[in-house]
Amino acid sequence: MPKILVVDDEEPIRLLYREELTEEGYEVATAAGGQGLLERIERERPDLIILDIKLADADGLDLLQEIRTRYYDLPVILCSAYEVFKRDVKAIAADAYVVKSSDLTPLKRAVHRALEGRGATQGEGEG
Amino acid sequence: MVSYEENPARIERADIVVGIPSYNEAKTIVHPTTQAGLGLLQYFGDKTSVIINCDNDSTDGTKEAFLNAPTEVPKIYLSTPPSVKGKGSNLLNLFAKVDALGAQACIIIDADLKSITPRWVRNLGEPLFMDFGFVAPLYVRHKYDGTITNNIAYPLLRALYGRRVRQPIGGDFGISAELVRIYLKQEFWSDEITQFGIDIWMTTQAIAHAIPICQAYMGRPKIHRPKDPGTDLGPMFSQVVGTIFGMMAPCEPYWKEVKWSRPTAVFGFGLGEVEEPPAMEMDAQGLYRRFTEGINKFQGVWKRVLASEYYDKLMEVAQMEWEHFDFPPLLWAHILFDYAVGYHDLDGEREALLASLIPIYFGKVYSFVLRAERMSVQEAEEYIEEQCMSFEETRPYLDARWGKRGKKDAQDSGGR
Repeated sequence: MPKILVVDDEEPIRLLYREELTEEGYEVATAAGGQGLLERIERERPDLIILDIKLADADGLDLLQEIRTRYYDLPVILCSAYEVFKRDVKAIAADAYVVKSSDLTPLKRAVHRALEGRGATQGEGEG
Repeated sequence: MVSYEENPARIERADIVVGIPSYNEAKTIVHPTTQAGLGLLQYFGDKTSVIINCDNDSTDGTKEAFLNAPTEVPKIYLSTPPSVKGKGSNLLNLFAKVDALGAQACIIIDADLKSITPRWVRNLGEPLFMDFGFVAPLYVRHKYDGTITNNIAYPLLRALYGRRVRQPIGGDFGISAELVRIYLKQEFWSDEITQFGIDIWMTTQAIAHAIPICQAYMGRPKIHRPKDPGTDLGPMFSQVVGTIFGMMAPCEPYWKEVKWSRPTAVFGFGLGEVEEPPAMEMDAQGLYRRFTEGINKFQGVWKRVLASEYYDKLMEVAQMEWEHFDFPPLLWAHILFDYAVGYHDLDGEREALLASLIPIYFGKVYSFVLRAERMSVQEAEEYIEEQCMSFEETRPYLDARWGKRGKKDAQDSGGR
């Protein structure tokens, strides 16, 4: 069962994503911010990260750079209430950019594609 | 293959190499050479470095201009034999020299580059010391610049090989020692690759060998000799597209496993204000004219290569008035995949096949010019990304057609 780590500083979002994605057949863990995130990824080895951009303790786009550098093939989906960050060049390093909405269909589709794509093109190592 | 070498400083080892391929670039090569020298000193001062001009036996004084360019970093001049031309041939010489020098990193820059700064050397080189094996550039580009990249190389490479390299034929790259050795071992080497096909060949090989790729943000436009795609297509189109199609057979085990594309890492921020690209004029009427001229000349070939459904749709597009012309990305994706299959199947007719694709390409570019006329650079970029998704979503069509020689319609293939 693929493991997803949801990183968002809003508890209602973490709870909603955990409930919906668990129903989709994923194992879901959550984190409230960026502190200790890299260590947690190293320890728990999630298959995919859903990453909020405006975190209380970190910038999601900067975290994305750190994750991509250390874990080259780990899928990361950026999630934000704001479309504007999609135009930031740092967002290129994300598998997908999903604007937060009550309809989770785009998020679920992005998760499915990112995990399907990873299975086909996974590199020999990470980082 | 090297036929001539000048190594005034007798360099035998180097940690990092900057390679500049050239043919008759005496007027332009000094600037990138001096900037490369400054970049190597400023950002890689703790490493030994050398700048290598890999040349096609230029007759305009390129060698002298290069060797006399003021740099503290030593320089080596290499040349192919007089009869051997092409950027690919130059880079083959460079790779062999990089390997012989025991270098860890190789940066390649174009000899006519006007906008290079020392920071470009840093951005293309530093990721190579961070476990990335291939560094591609991310330039700030005008929405009308890079039409072969935007409409063919980027979407095709992404859909086929599953990695989003925005500038796969940018011309300026960073390559690790490991990847240089991979390049030197490859057996598939065509005439197109020895010429302008080399860039797309390098990028494709990097992806197909699962080399970690980084895109380096340059923060500036790439300014070199300007080209209007309406008038300056030249042989580059056939060499780039021929290489993409030609590599599909040897790389089939890799791309057949790809379902969706994945991103790369990105490097090189904190540049301050980003420089806008210069304005660019397009000969839009010329693009439309070349498309319509192609209809009479190549209609027979199109009917042979394209599945009936997409031939019919192309003919519908051909009937459109120039003011309302619209070439849908989904149709373009199907056409390119039909051409990829045709290139694979029609071995002895490839040159004619590629020639027949050119007017269709002009039609596609014209459509983009019309659509993007009022778009910002960002909006145009979003449109290009949507086009790429059309290609990715059309992959099952290619997978169903590939290898079914001569069977191009649904009733032949047993359905798509």
